[in-house]
Amino acid sequence: MALRESVQANDEGDLDVVTGRGEGDAGVPHGAFLVDLADAVARWGWDEMPAVRQRGIALIGPKATSDAILVAAGFNGITRVADAIGIRLDSRTANASVGLRAQTGIDAFAPAEKWTA
Amino acid sequence: MTATAQPVDPATLAAHNATLEAIAAPGAWWSGPDRLAIVRAARTAPTCAFCAERDVPTLPIDGEHDNDGELPPIAVEAIHAIRNDSGRLTRRWFDDVIDMGMLPEAYVELVAVTASSVIVDTFAQGMGLDMPELPEGVGGTPTLERSDDVEDAGAWLPLAREGRANILRSLALVPSALKLFFATFGRSYYMAPDSQFALDRAQVELVAARVSAVNECFY
Repeated sequence: MALRESVQANDEGDLDVVTGRGEGDAGVPHGAFLVDLADAVARWGWDEMPAVRQRGIALIGPKATSDAILVAAGFNGITRVADAIGIRLDSRTANASVGLRAQTGIDAFAPAEKWTA
Repeated sequence: MTATAQPVDPATLAAHNATLEAIAAPGAWWSGPDRLAIVRAARTAPTCAFCAERDVPTLPIDGEHDNDGELPPIAVEAIHAIRNDSGRLTRRWFDDVIDMGMLPEAYVELVAVTASSVIVDTFAQGMGLDMPELPEGVGGTPTLERSDDVEDAGAWLPLAREGRANILRSLALVPSALKLFFATFGRSYYMAPDSQFALDRAQVELVAARVSAVNECFY
């Protein structure tokens, strides 16, 4: 879901930032900071977070920093639902993300054994 | 609480407290105290010595997860694997969980409670707050609710017959589990009626996509 929406929001050339194969803002205001924040939250890097929050408050303000943490927390949860139920790509999502998936290599996150007993 | 220089949205705190209150009540396949035990097990998972030693979630396990004995071992295995390594779960692992005695409906509810607690606790920790105290468990028996309005859609479990994306259909086998999770997740995305982010859409999507990638979630 997130990656599919992102391809609509950003230029394809920026998508390597999402998968960590590139650096920069991904064409998004303060994108590099938001990627750092997302990394810290997704990797449970709580020791890093005081500095991340201070940087966020200076760059985008306290409300936006809190919102970014809230979004990251939500996706830390929903990725677990997707993985634990073993859902497949629905055709709508798959059709919308063919190019994206090829460019970013995210299909590697779904090896055959994901669905093979 | 550690020092934090920023305000926390009261509506978010209220929503997350409502999630914990809902978890404390009897569910469809787990009692209120059992559901709170699921949250406690999810909180224990990050420091579990067995999980730290293990490469990939596989069954049967050749050790013991850190746990307080409140839940069956197979439930603790599922919670810790989902919390710590969900991106590498396989169909084989899921089949083994079911073969070792977990009812599919109970598994769905366990996933919803675990993932909801991950959202609540991740937000608190990210904001520099203590993880919220858990309420007292509410007495009562599980309802044994399950939906027949589901179908095989190639996932490990049946999904809702209707829905515009598989993720939105994913917990439908147990409707109360679906409701619990998306009531919690809704505040983190554009699903709550009063969602008002101080980020623009592209910023929200970038954070969401990056978290999904770090979690190795192909979806």
